[in-house]
Amino acid sequence: MRDRAATALDAAVAAGAAYADCRVVERTVQSVTIRNGRVNNVSELEDAGTGIRVLVDGAWGFCGTQRDDPAGLEEAARLAVRIARASARTPVARVRLAQAPAVTATYVTPVSIDPFSVTLDRKIDLLLAADAAMDVAGITTRVGSLGAVRHHQIFASTEGSCIEQTIIETGGGLDATATGDGEVQTRSFPNSFGRQQLAAGWEIVEEMDLPGNGTRIAEEAVALLSADPCPSGRMTLILDATQAALQVHESCGHPTELDRVLGFEAAYAGTSFLMPDMLGRFRYGSEQVTITADATSPGGLGTFGYDDEGVAAQRTLLIDRGIFTGYLSSRETASQVDAPSGGTVRAESWNRLPLIRMTNINLEPGTSSLEEMIATTEHGVYLETNRSWSIDDRRLNFQFGTQAGWEIRDGRRVRLVRNPLYSGNTPEFWNSCDAVAGRAEWRMYGVINCGKGQPGQVMHVGHGAAPCRFRNVAVRPA
Amino acid sequence: MSQAALHGGDLLDMADRILRRIPAGREAEVTATRTASALTRFANGAIHQNVADCTTRLRLRLIGDGRAGVAEMQAESDDAAAALVQTAETVRSQAPPGEPVPLYAPDGGPDAETGYGADTEAVTPEQRADHVAVVCGAARDRGQTAFGACETGVTMVAMASTTGLRRSARHSVAELIAVCRGEDGSAYGARFAAGVSDLGVEDLAAEVVERCARNQRAQPLEPGTYQVVLSPYAVAEMLEYLGLMGLGGLALSEQRSFMRFGDPIMSASVSISDDVTRRELAPLAFDGEGATTRPVTLIDNGVGRAVVHDSVTATRAGVATTGHSFPQPNSDGPLPRYLCLTPGEGSEESMIAGCERGLLVTRFWYVRPVHPLATIITGMTRDGTFLIANGRVLRPVRDLRFTQSIVGALADVRAIGANRLASRGYHGATLAPWMHLGGFTFSS
Repeated sequence: MRDRAATALDAAVAAGAAYADCRVVERTVQSVTIRNGRVNNVSELEDAGTGIRVLVDGAWGFCGTQRDDPAGLEEAARLAVRIARASARTPVARVRLAQAPAVTATYVTPVSIDPFSVTLDRKIDLLLAADAAMDVAGITTRVGSLGAVRHHQIFASTEGSCIEQTIIETGGGLDATATGDGEVQTRSFPNSFGRQQLAAGWEIVEEMDLPGNGTRIAEEAVALLSADPCPSGRMTLILDATQAALQVHESCGHPTELDRVLGFEAAYAGTSFLMPDMLGRFRYGSEQVTITADATSPGGLGTFGYDDEGVAAQRTLLIDRGIFTGYLSSRETASQVDAPSGGTVRAESWNRLPLIRMTNINLEPGTSSLEEMIATTEHGVYLETNRSWSIDDRRLNFQFGTQAGWEIRDGRRVRLVRNPLYSGNTPEFWNSCDAVAGRAEWRMYGVINCGKGQPGQVMHVGHGAAPCRFRNVAVRPA
Repeated sequence: MSQAALHGGDLLDMADRILRRIPAGREAEVTATRTASALTRFANGAIHQNVADCTTRLRLRLIGDGRAGVAEMQAESDDAAAALVQTAETVRSQAPPGEPVPLYAPDGGPDAETGYGADTEAVTPEQRADHVAVVCGAARDRGQTAFGACETGVTMVAMASTTGLRRSARHSVAELIAVCRGEDGSAYGARFAAGVSDLGVEDLAAEVVERCARNQRAQPLEPGTYQVVLSPYAVAEMLEYLGLMGLGGLALSEQRSFMRFGDPIMSASVSISDDVTRRELAPLAFDGEGATTRPVTLIDNGVGRAVVHDSVTATRAGVATTGHSFPQPNSDGPLPRYLCLTPGEGSEESMIAGCERGLLVTRFWYVRPVHPLATIITGMTRDGTFLIANGRVLRPVRDLRFTQSIVGALADVRAIGANRLASRGYHGATLAPWMHLGGFTFSS
């Protein structure tokens, strides 16, 4: 792999690149899906290739190739240079890269049990046991899935970096769907979007206890069919940690991406309401709200040794006790605000250009607890597990729906409610946060469907979160 | 040198070579897909990301002794072929016995290449940059700034199986997306075609800069239920979500679909089909299990007629597959790929003239299902929303969030446009006209 990187970089320089980097990637993805008691899919994907990124006359070019022979790599490098030169047919804003030291290093995700060492028999048996647990009256669709990823990569640059990394991910999850009386209700465990996934080994699947939670979620899905609609009005809202994680993702993670702020995503993913002159001054949320971008968080899907520009993993304060303090940045974007790169550049695979992506965007733990939040709420709702999400292109106007809700009266959960929605405006919402649960209830969650960029890239990102409470939020049924 | 220079050998030959490696007593299906694509992205009036790649993906489904296994590789060497067979056999041997989805037997359908344009395959980085330069220049001339992307790509798919299936076809996509921003407002437009020569770059540039000029200094508007005149971009998004939520055979069999055959479901002026014969949708002739994709009338004058099927849901429903399968086995079930809304006789101008008070919506954004069975979606308007009063466009308004049942909205159709525009979809493309609807709920 190192030879391939050297060949590609030499060819890029020979063709005229002032700077070049390349990623030689080997990736294996295994997935197992059980549906209604039958093995629906057992598959393994192996993927290998090289992505070459060049700067020529201040403009970027990129080419991805599966060929691993010298001639193929040289051809791809030359095409990357030609593409960069074509960029000059429009006025070029010359790219400057923030300084970054050349690094020689290795990094491997720490795991106790390699997920690829666990036999398929054992994985299928686990899912079949969970499937049987979900097989309660009223359930029409039961789905269980397990996934494992091994991403092995060499990053090398003409500045002298050579970094070898192996990232391992493991995940699993259940969905139970009940249908009847004009309603379709799904409950998921541990999270929606198919599964909970972490940068960790098989040990995290064993800790989930999928079979032990199957019956509970199935019974909740059936109960939701006949539950009362969610109450409507402005009220106190308590989010479970999984929904808090997605709230952070959409309304804190994306708007702090500096490429959005600079207009790079204006035609697609959108821009941001967070202008650079707001740094250090803008009150994003209440004193309870501290949010970090932490690529060193154990187990997070955004945890690595170095990003895809060779910048070391780091922890950046994005929101410090409510005040907006930082961005997610790349070497290119950081240079435009005279800052060092935040080390948050990532590519889905070898055939995609690295972009600013979330690492682990964490809502730091507070001092409360879910029990205390409910006990001190006169009237409100407690909502669990995302069902729908939507936010505007500047990341201000949002609406989320969750799978389940419970109405709270006088400090107690009094009834299950269905189809809850809540909506709001990002800074107003975070300023209404009056409690975040403490370390004991803080968990790391994985989002495996974060889309961005053209061509589209789906990235795996992490969010540490805990249950949290918001006052005077607009809540209603779908 | 073009992207095509990165290509390897013939895909169907490659599929045959893999089939020859299959152990005795196994049934097998090989799918080889090669996509050569390039995308030139621009922001702030200049190209800022400019990429190309060529990816070959091999997929082998192996069945034997009632067990099935799937292996996939993104590679195209003989070594990769050998490893693919070995991995699939390992996966198959460890899978529990069951009732695997049977391999599809050849149906004799033609490998038509309706959706292929040689001009798209031949396009160069310089030509893409020149298309971008047209948009950037038009914006600059009006004091605006341009953002967007120009993408071209060719995909070839070859399938071969032990049932005698042996087919291959190409299709190509060309897309130009443009967003122009002025001092205080933006506008959107896009063109999609099989052939890059059919994009109509100058027309798109003119459309977007004109819309941007009108969409400046938008004022807030009170949420509520309004009539809407929807551009084809917004109509296409609505159709896509209707298809995702309820026009597939699996959703219907699992009681997750709004569809009721033979019943009036929406306005009698609405007819929706999935039409693989439309070249402007850059169609591919067959689906993920090798079945010929056939045109399907889904809604006929407001009455529910059919959903799309793969072999699994078709067998369950006692009908023939319509050729809308993803690679088997899968959890998603069949979905429409080439949705078309039958045109009417209206135009953007006549619809605005016929609207007493309502909103002209260019584009929906970040649409998500809220209640799939009731076809309720939520999302935002974006890049050009205007208040219509007394048959005239009065002023731009700030973006609004909508939460609305699609079926409910299509129950009150005031007019449908005569001209349609092709838009890229989530799994294919969509052909949509302008529409004037009687009620659409904006919630914030």
